[in-house]
Amino acid sequence: MKTDRWAIGELVPQITEMDSVGLALRLTLLALLLRPIGNWMIRPLILGLAALGVALPGLLRKPWLWFTLAVLTGLRVVLDWQLADNHGYLLCYWCLAIALALVSRDTCACLALNGRLLIGWAFAFATLWKLALSPDYLDGRFFRVLLLTDLRFAEFAQLAGGLTLDSLESLREFVTQHVDGQLFAVLNPPREPARFLWLARCMTWWTVILEGAIAIVFLWPAKQRLSTLRDALLLTFCATVYAVAPVEGFGWLLIALGVAQCDPARRRPRFLYLAVFALILFYREIPPVEWLAAFSHPS
Amino acid sequence: MPQHLVHRRWFWYLPVALLVTVACLQLWLAYTVNLSPWAGGGFGMFSTMEGRGNRHLHAFALRPGIRRELDIPSSLNPHLERVLVFPSESALRSLAAELVHVPTPDAGPLAAIELQVWATHFDPNSLEPSGTLLRAFEVPIDPHENRSLGDW
Repeated sequence: MKTDRWAIGELVPQITEMDSVGLALRLTLLALLLRPIGNWMIRPLILGLAALGVALPGLLRKPWLWFTLAVLTGLRVVLDWQLADNHGYLLCYWCLAIALALVSRDTCACLALNGRLLIGWAFAFATLWKLALSPDYLDGRFFRVLLLTDLRFAEFAQLAGGLTLDSLESLREFVTQHVDGQLFAVLNPPREPARFLWLARCMTWWTVILEGAIAIVFLWPAKQRLSTLRDALLLTFCATVYAVAPVEGFGWLLIALGVAQCDPARRRPRFLYLAVFALILFYREIPPVEWLAAFSHPS
Repeated sequence: MPQHLVHRRWFWYLPVALLVTVACLQLWLAYTVNLSPWAGGGFGMFSTMEGRGNRHLHAFALRPGIRRELDIPSSLNPHLERVLVFPSESALRSLAAELVHVPTPDAGPLAAIELQVWATHFDPNSLEPSGTLLRAFEVPIDPHENRSLGDW
């Protein structure tokens, strides 16, 4: 038992002392293994390459491995660009960034630059959509409708929004009715409880403020002082948003990009990135909302 | 290595240039051809209900004097999803070409397939849903060959 404890005790410093490039590459491959992507043709190839990269340390920094992954993830996007997730696009850019970093003289600086700018621009566009382009975001409508209609958020809407099952179902029935044009006279539309409206408002502003702040600090020209803020904001985003939003693949990818841009001298944030990577895995396996719902209503 | 000693190469910026280019293209398509903000690599996910889940399509077979709504076969679901996300003319023509083969009880030559893509919007106060027609498109069918123009 003593040797096991020692082994775990030594593992943490070993991982945090690993160079940023090695850690970011391993986390990217792990993300590919934990959340496989692509159709029946591309998926086995991506999984096979990711498994090889993790199992054979000699392959980890081979540019051909990452160029191939960039092509495969790119194919996955190009073949079905209308339906591919945004994180599929980001994954493709990131694999290309890794491949280019590995053929350049200063791998670490190239990867750090790409990690920082890819996060910055992705969050800048996400903020632009929310702040300026979407007509139904800032007034809270988006989260009100999402919480009612997306079954993945049903328990969260009840637990945090104070909806009963009956009120959730009647509101869902109301907003999902099929309409071409306008509804005829609506008599007594179901009302949303004040707590639910408050929750939607909080989610709206929490998300857009955090995403906007991340965009600004990651796109601001590199300065030592901003580095701490970057890591803190990205870690806060991943630790909070993915507790509710079931898109862990995006979370793991952001962590890999975050590690790559993290100041190599700072061990604590690197450890925290690893902890949040594990936390997102925990969220996937034991969703905190389901757990809390079961805890509050044991029957 | 200190930041000022790093010699950056032009190709370091390729992935970021790609991200920005694709996202700008997505913005343009969203405004010109109603591409869903959730799709196309523009990072508009979780910003609006204008996703494919809140869009629907009506398809009609037009024969002389008859306009019959078609049930879209489940085998065309992937096709349908792409049309809902990106209702471009070519996507609508391609779906119409598939719908030519859907049987109807009506007699007479098929003159055209009419497609309508609707988006559901919600009232800011009551969340009352309303449907907005995003795009309507009629694809004439060649009466001699009974083939849609979309096949050409």
